[in-house]
Amino acid sequence: MVIGLLIPFVEITLAGAIINASVHFVPVGGAPAAMATSTGIGTGTTQLAAGAGFTGLMAAATMAAQNGIDIFNPLHWIIILLSGAVGSMIMLGLTMLIGQLIYVFGVGVVPAADKCERDPITGDYQKSYITPGTTGHAIPTVCFISGLIGAALGGIGGALAYVALKQLGFSSEVAGIMAVGFFFMNAVLASYNIGGTIEGFHDPKFKKIPNGIVASFVASLLTGIIVVVMSLGI
Amino acid sequence: MDSTLIILGALALSSAAATVAGCAEDLESDVGSQSNPNSQVQLAPQMGNIHRYFNKAISGEPVSYGLYVAVAGTIAWALMNIGMSTIFALVIGAGVAAFIHGVYAVSAYLGRIVGQSQNFGQPVYLDVVITHLGPIVGHGFIAVFCMLLAAYLATSILGNPFPLPLVALIFGITVGAIGSSTGDVHYGAEREYQKYPFGGGVPVANHGDIDIKAEIGIRNGMDSSYFCSKLGGPLTGLTFGLIVFLDGWRGIVGGILGNALGGSLISKSIIAIIVGIILVAVMVCLNRLVEVYARKKYGPYTDR
Repeated sequence: MVIGLLIPFVEITLAGAIINASVHFVPVGGAPAAMATSTGIGTGTTQLAAGAGFTGLMAAATMAAQNGIDIFNPLHWIIILLSGAVGSMIMLGLTMLIGQLIYVFGVGVVPAADKCERDPITGDYQKSYITPGTTGHAIPTVCFISGLIGAALGGIGGALAYVALKQLGFSSEVAGIMAVGFFFMNAVLASYNIGGTIEGFHDPKFKKIPNGIVASFVASLLTGIIVVVMSLGI
Repeated sequence: MDSTLIILGALALSSAAATVAGCAEDLESDVGSQSNPNSQVQLAPQMGNIHRYFNKAISGEPVSYGLYVAVAGTIAWALMNIGMSTIFALVIGAGVAAFIHGVYAVSAYLGRIVGQSQNFGQPVYLDVVITHLGPIVGHGFIAVFCMLLAAYLATSILGNPFPLPLVALIFGITVGAIGSSTGDVHYGAEREYQKYPFGGGVPVANHGDIDIKAEIGIRNGMDSSYFCSKLGGPLTGLTFGLIVFLDGWRGIVGGILGNALGGSLISKSIIAIIVGIILVAVMVCLNRLVEVYARKKYGPYTDR
């Protein structure tokens, strides 16, 4: 009984920390990126991470709902988490790719990162491609890869929270809406920590990630206590 | 009939609906000027540019679309549960959401413009409200209905365990995030700043200096939707449609190949995951190709 409650409790606490970490990887440029004035995807941190995370959550839930899947079986558990990760990666990968097409063919800018001299993955020089008066534009390879890592972590985090809630005995419907709320809570905490825009793991702001993880860990710990108490019917 | 064929058909219909939904959503946000590019419309009067754009940042696009589609989904769900036919329930749900959308659009326009009238001299144009409201609500209705249809197919045929209102909420948030990240860039970075040379990005010094003159006469939101329907809108639709399709398709491929390999659930699932990873790897390669193309075609800045 105690173990049955403890495992989901640990899972939900870890899920919060993972979701918070994931948001730090996603290259979001906010409103300036929508004007090709800064590097990254042109929308808000929380919104984009949530969009990707929820696609992963649906992929994980669809996998968990299949006949023959047992959420207590470790192998099945891993498959559900990986399904969530892949679902999120497909969503964010396509969004970044098509966003890139619009930047290059619709706006006519070259993908360039402002926070590094050379792209750490391809080795391409970045500074000379940045329009004067802007802080980069579009989604260079390093941002794309960072975004995919973020999406994978977000999908795993969302799926882990969902599985934990299912293990506590909640129905799929209730577990789904609680996982959505839980995801938003941690994404907003991460968004406060980032404070606007971030380019990915090469951005100096990324070094603030431990603060975000600790904040989400504490918040998820409290949430975990509440959902465990709820599952006991108190 | 073979169940795989039925699932494939439902997935194709769902993806087609998602494609139309994405396109309509982006064009609606261009007519109404929502999301991030709206910051420039809001800034323009302070920079001396009195404009006739519609101005409605109700909230972030994902959240507002989450609201509309969840409202539509909830009403459709309730109506279906009292015995109404599915298609009528979906249409009535989307209709109520369109009405709510219209109410928010009007109050957002009046609120934001009146806030700028006294200090910056931006007039409230009632004819802008009246002429733009139809396209805003119309595009919104198409987007919400198509998303609701995709959500209904997901819950009824494609094996999603969530109830219709929750899937609708998730689809709404996702389509808002996609529209805001892809199509709105075309509107924000290109359409609002067409007087500047193509390819320059928008330096911070030019922020708020949006185009107020159109090809003929004074520019308004409907001109923007016409322009963005050539690239931003269709690409947004393509993104959402492909996401829905590819995420479902990898499961179907996993099922078919898994059956050939003995049919255990684990092998099917692992193949579906591997197919997903291959798709992501292809996206990385395509992104790199586009990046290299842009670097070669446009070149670096050499005059500084």
